[in-house]
Amino acid sequence: MASQQRLHATLRVAAKELRETLRDRQTAFTTLVLPICMYPVLFWVMVQGFLVLQGQKERTEVRVGVINQESVPEDLLRALDKGQDEDEEYQANRLVLVDLGAQEDVPRAELLEPQGEDSSPGDPPLAGVLSFAPQGAQLHVNRSEPKGELTEGRITSRLARHVDQLREQAAQEGGYSPTALEPLRLERKDVGPESDKGALILAMLLPMLLVTMCVMGAFFPAVDLSAGERERGTAETTLLLPIPRLWVLQGKVLAVASLSMIATSFNLLALGISAEGLLATLLQGSSITINLPWQSLLAIAPLTLLFALFAGATLTAISGLARNFKEAQAMLGPVQLLFIMPAIAGIMPGIDLTPGLALVPVLNMTLAAKSMLLGKILPLEYTLVAISLLISGWLALNLAVRLLSREAFATSSATIPLRKLVSFLRSDGDASR
Amino acid sequence: MTEATHSQALEAQATDPQGPAIEAKALTKVFSDPKRGKIAAVQDLDLTCNYGEVMGLLGPNGAGKTTTLRMLSTILAPTRGTATVAGADVTNDPITVRERVGFLSGTTGLYPRLTAKEVLQYFGRLHGMDEDTLGQRLEVVVKAFDLNEFLSGRCESLSTGQRQRVSIARAVIHDPRVLILDEPTTGLDLLAASDMIRFVESRREEGRCVLFSTHVLSEAERLCDRIAIVHAGRVLAVGTPQELREETKEEWLEDVFRAFVARADQTLTSEADNL
Repeated sequence: MASQQRLHATLRVAAKELRETLRDRQTAFTTLVLPICMYPVLFWVMVQGFLVLQGQKERTEVRVGVINQESVPEDLLRALDKGQDEDEEYQANRLVLVDLGAQEDVPRAELLEPQGEDSSPGDPPLAGVLSFAPQGAQLHVNRSEPKGELTEGRITSRLARHVDQLREQAAQEGGYSPTALEPLRLERKDVGPESDKGALILAMLLPMLLVTMCVMGAFFPAVDLSAGERERGTAETTLLLPIPRLWVLQGKVLAVASLSMIATSFNLLALGISAEGLLATLLQGSSITINLPWQSLLAIAPLTLLFALFAGATLTAISGLARNFKEAQAMLGPVQLLFIMPAIAGIMPGIDLTPGLALVPVLNMTLAAKSMLLGKILPLEYTLVAISLLISGWLALNLAVRLLSREAFATSSATIPLRKLVSFLRSDGDASR
Repeated sequence: MTEATHSQALEAQATDPQGPAIEAKALTKVFSDPKRGKIAAVQDLDLTCNYGEVMGLLGPNGAGKTTTLRMLSTILAPTRGTATVAGADVTNDPITVRERVGFLSGTTGLYPRLTAKEVLQYFGRLHGMDEDTLGQRLEVVVKAFDLNEFLSGRCESLSTGQRQRVSIARAVIHDPRVLILDEPTTGLDLLAASDMIRFVESRREEGRCVLFSTHVLSEAERLCDRIAIVHAGRVLAVGTPQELREETKEEWLEDVFRAFVARADQTLTSEADNL
């Protein structure tokens, strides 16, 4: 009975707040239209992220299996694996060779599978398989995996450098022109499916966009429903509602989260419609196909809703400290970055969803979305992400309740600085009122 | 809240109309100010108001009138003391108080992007009214406050007078037995102010209790059955206008007020000297 009453009251408040917010042209514009205009800025951020990512790539070690390593000339192996103590470039771009023995009949894709036959359970999977034959070398990689491309780049450049040396040496000894010689030909083969490459690109792009869309979608409604209410002089009116203040705030946070989800869906739809034309131009001449993975997105939706609740509650709580719309916007700027930075970190290669990272709010959302887009089935990690987001959302809601049920919220005409947050929380207030 | 709960609330109000509508004992509110330290806005305030009575809180700005009314309407929690409004305790049962009281002040604005009708429906529904009861009640308040012309207009587009009428309708949509009004005529033109005065009189005739604050002496004299003179967070005197006149031997209410304030200031000065 009481819970039904609570649900009805919360939904009534949420419906009223939604109606009011959507009637405000500025909020509707900034919630639904502005995020789309913000894409160029986001792409700039992505380029910056990409530069950081390059640094991260250099530090990533890759393991390459070599078929019949004992039959491969020593100087060639040294060229691939050499100089870790001598050469700075080689030291940064570490490549470890693993002798696979005779594996002629085994499909290369199988050797690239995690926990392959020749790997001990603790070993990371192979990123490439290299085999040598009199007519040349063959490199098998899965380009849809971030490490596949790294491996291909490293092997290609190292072999090319070694081949140049051989060519120079042979030309000097025999009096030939170096360009006439081809001591070793490298054939590169991709074992990854084409659709996986598109998924990889999306996995790099969408998780960060999802988090950003959610946060941006929640931004203005959160400001409007807390600081905006103070500015409009209706905070006291709301305190007169004959229901506990906790229910009122639940309704408000629900409205903010709903608007965040509406904005995110709207953005995704717009992105999906334009993706074909936009990405086709970017990927001209490539065999890569990109389709918005609606099934994966549907799977991500519940987590996104939990994340939207968490973001909505956090932003509502913080903006409630401000006395007006403008100051709340200024206050939320840095808070917004606190959401976006972990989202950028989450799309870096080498950072994958683990049970530990599944507990870190924001980062866990990005990593879970990335894994889901790559089709990875990680039930334990996804459950942990959901639990973590639920707990974070609950904590943020409680913070919002503690902040906005303060008497100062209704009675003070001043902005409460963030540095006074703790002492403000200790002051009088009771959410049950 | 369900229809049954709303009916029970109204019934509970109706079954005990004999007791005091408002009873405050030693009500105190202390605010903490980072620069000025602790400030007692209201100190040990005792007050009783009955059904069918209009009680005025008369005092200058900063006397503690608004803080008192905010505590009685549960917007603020008292620091000390107790108060019951329409039979419910403001500290222990604030939601019941809000169910039974109508509160209006200059700072209880209307949601600007909702229409007048939507505001009234929103409050009515959260007061637990079912659609039929709400519809009937809407008809009553629309007629009483002549809202029909702008009922579907957004509150942001209404004039000050129209807004005030909608605000009153909002405060009484649930038909409360106790009405608390904080300087209800401030900012209103003559016509709107006289409408407000007529409304307060009509509530008294219906047997409701109205507690309102003002610093307009003529308004207090015309409307109030009893007046509480408030100064520096304390009640200096309570009585009918005639009783207050007799006590101070003054003819005009303004002089009555000055006499009580001077007497209080004298007492405070001598207390300070004794310290």
